[in-house]
Amino acid sequence: MGRTAPTYHQALEERMKRWDEFARLLTSPEERAAFEMVRTGARRYVAQATYVGSPDLLESILLSVLTDLAVRIRAEPSTATSRR
Amino acid sequence: MAVTPPPLRPDGWLLDITESDDGRSVVLWTKEQRTGRVRRTAVEYRPPFLVAGTRSDLSLLARRLTDHPDVHSATLGSGRPSLFDHRSRPVLSVVPTRNPARRALARSVDALGGYERFSLYDVDLGPPQLYHLAHDLYPFAPVVGRPPTLRATEPPETIDYSPPPLRIARLEVHLVGERRGRIPPPDGRIGAVRVGETTLEGPEEELLRALVDELARTDPDVLLTNGGDAFDLPWLYRRAAACGLSSAEFPLGRERVPFRPSRPARSFESYGRVLYRSASYPLPGRFHIDRENSFLYDDAEVAGLIDAARLSRLSLATVVRQSPGTCFTAMEMARALELGAHVPWKKNRPEGFRRADHLVAADRGGVIFLPPVGVHDHVDEFDFASLYPHIMVTKNLSTETLECRCCPASPVRAPGLGYRSCTRRVGLIPRTLAPLLERRLAYKAALKRPGVPPEEAARLKRRVKMLKWILVTAFGYQGYRNARFGRIECHEAINAYARDLLARLALEAERAGYSVLHGIVDSLWLRPNDPEHPPDPEAFAARMSERFGLPLGYEGRYRWLVFLPAVTTGLGVPNRYYGYYEHGEFKLRGIGARRHDTTGLVRRFEAEVLALFRTARDAEGVRALLPRALARADLFASEVRAGTWPVDELLIGHRIGQAPEAFVTFTNSVAALRQLKEAGAVRGPGEFVRFVLLDRRSRSFRHRVRPAELLEGNERYDVGAYLEILARSAETLLAPLGVGREELRARWGAEPAPERDEYRSPEGLGQRRLEGSGPERRY
Repeated sequence: MGRTAPTYHQALEERMKRWDEFARLLTSPEERAAFEMVRTGARRYVAQATYVGSPDLLESILLSVLTDLAVRIRAEPSTATSRR
Repeated sequence: MAVTPPPLRPDGWLLDITESDDGRSVVLWTKEQRTGRVRRTAVEYRPPFLVAGTRSDLSLLARRLTDHPDVHSATLGSGRPSLFDHRSRPVLSVVPTRNPARRALARSVDALGGYERFSLYDVDLGPPQLYHLAHDLYPFAPVVGRPPTLRATEPPETIDYSPPPLRIARLEVHLVGERRGRIPPPDGRIGAVRVGETTLEGPEEELLRALVDELARTDPDVLLTNGGDAFDLPWLYRRAAACGLSSAEFPLGRERVPFRPSRPARSFESYGRVLYRSASYPLPGRFHIDRENSFLYDDAEVAGLIDAARLSRLSLATVVRQSPGTCFTAMEMARALELGAHVPWKKNRPEGFRRADHLVAADRGGVIFLPPVGVHDHVDEFDFASLYPHIMVTKNLSTETLECRCCPASPVRAPGLGYRSCTRRVGLIPRTLAPLLERRLAYKAALKRPGVPPEEAARLKRRVKMLKWILVTAFGYQGYRNARFGRIECHEAINAYARDLLARLALEAERAGYSVLHGIVDSLWLRPNDPEHPPDPEAFAARMSERFGLPLGYEGRYRWLVFLPAVTTGLGVPNRYYGYYEHGEFKLRGIGARRHDTTGLVRRFEAEVLALFRTARDAEGVRALLPRALARADLFASEVRAGTWPVDELLIGHRIGQAPEAFVTFTNSVAALRQLKEAGAVRGPGEFVRFVLLDRRSRSFRHRVRPAELLEGNERYDVGAYLEILARSAETLLAPLGVGREELRARWGAEPAPERDEYRSPEGLGQRRLEGSGPERRY
């Protein structure tokens, strides 16, 4: 419709296309699975990132990924530490 | 205290006002209460349009217009035509010699001013609309007196009114030897016409004359058709002309009209979709309602449309064919004229310059969460009724009240954006919306009263639906660049208030003992932290309504609710879910049953799965039913595989997005369109085409599909394609329970969809090369 600025969601998906190029040279299945997790994390907090309305796309993506990881770490404290 | 005069007993109703052929008058159609007869009265009426500018420019213009052949008079005066005018300014009032010349004359005035010196007002309001407003009248008004001295006995906003008794007759044309819905042959003769309860048959010319007699005898006020604008009326006119009848001998309205549409068919784009509207054939003095050419009719019916006509001062014939946005705009115009302002012809208010980061911050919608994929239970749903209109009213958001000059210190500011609202004057939009909101609540309250007769309840429900649509558009029109009273900053402010509100509500919900499962703009889905002792939802809703000053409603508790994942990411999709309330109702969003293009096969499958899940008490119950749901899917698959599924349940609908000759790739729709064209039926952009897949791999347009209009009933359909469709449908519903398309395909031994043929001839006509688009760029 008649929007001027792309939505956060659109900007994110545009950036994700660039990330595809990054993933193409990840050669082990572990790396690829981990990358998938990061990507899912980036997409999980669309509502919150939109609410902030930051002009810095990467800030919002990083916040989203970090929050997702932190939630996972808190949910499984034993596995997170035992892998160290 | 003012003494209210006793209510007048009306002599009848004003049904409609139409433009007269002579171009100098309007025709008032009134219905007498005593006899039920409809009377036609022509009244001379040539409304002026206004031109504002500097006094010297206007006197020069007035002199130039005096010998203009299209100008009856041009009078210099003063007024405050714009809502933004705080002081009176010079205004030239121009009366055209003929009403149809209004627009052309306005265009030349605009050109004389170099498109910048003059602002014009009231140009594109129709004379009937202006007549209503100038004489305190409205469509379906109960009236006393006789035209031209009619007086309405109650204001249009009256909530409890009795509409005039309308005689409604169905009209249906049948061609000799043809079934309705097939492609009519170009010279197809009319064999029968059903009008009301009567079916007329016989030789064509006699039949057409009998139709005119029957209409004169039964004198219906409304002719109701299914596709009348596209088929019945043009065909009647075409055959009447072929039989040598003149328009005077064959009037279908209460006045003769030429045998041609008042408005040709057109394709247009709305919300990213291409839509199609048939030519329209209104009948003066009699309303022609074509259900297929009306967005509003199915929801609003005559009761809702009458309500909209009264409030907008638009003829029922216009309301039925236009969008709710047109009705809302007309209501705004009516209110503006009531306030002594006028309606600008072209909105001369471009968006202001601003910084890019401000644009990013302001150009945002409401809050939309991603729901957790899966089956949930104990879910309470709440939503704000008409949230955006309520925000516009309570925050006084209107084009002329936002960032006004009179209140630099206004405390009412849009969160995060800081736009101020006026605290001294109530804006046009709130003035238009407040009575509509009040009206909707009054109708809803009346519906809840015990002992409402079923007819009355049906009428009220239609009016509620109608108002809902109008209220929905009110918000969108703030952001539409051509909307007369719209302003993008209002649009942004409304969203900002709504985002802030939902964030605060989510916090309050947590305090009350809920956790937030999902939220979309004005709705929240909440789960009690302790399902054994859930918070009282009604009390929570009441408390929040009070707290925020906006009506939060409790929609109900779900026995179970399934949020569906996106195929691409696996994350939840905001608007795809289905669930069953404790009060025994489904809520379905984004699944096949809600879509227009769904096949009967998928509809039937979904209905069976839902009927099965209906018996589940909670999420566990749904999961336990999965094996039985899969067994149903297997049964469907085996019948599809046997090739015995009735083809009319395999029709796939597709809305055409462009002109048929503009397609570059060979798609199913293209194949269907080519066959239709061969059979003599041309479809335009925005129209629907429906077909059965015969062989999805075929490169021949005849063998690939069969359009609905050409179905024989014994076609052999593409089994693999329909197994794939079934698998997709099953996956949509059951993915959160762990069922995938691949697994179903394997289970049914179905082949996956064919890879799309990437090769295209480089010499192909109309090829467009999209450089560097998409991620598959290779070096």
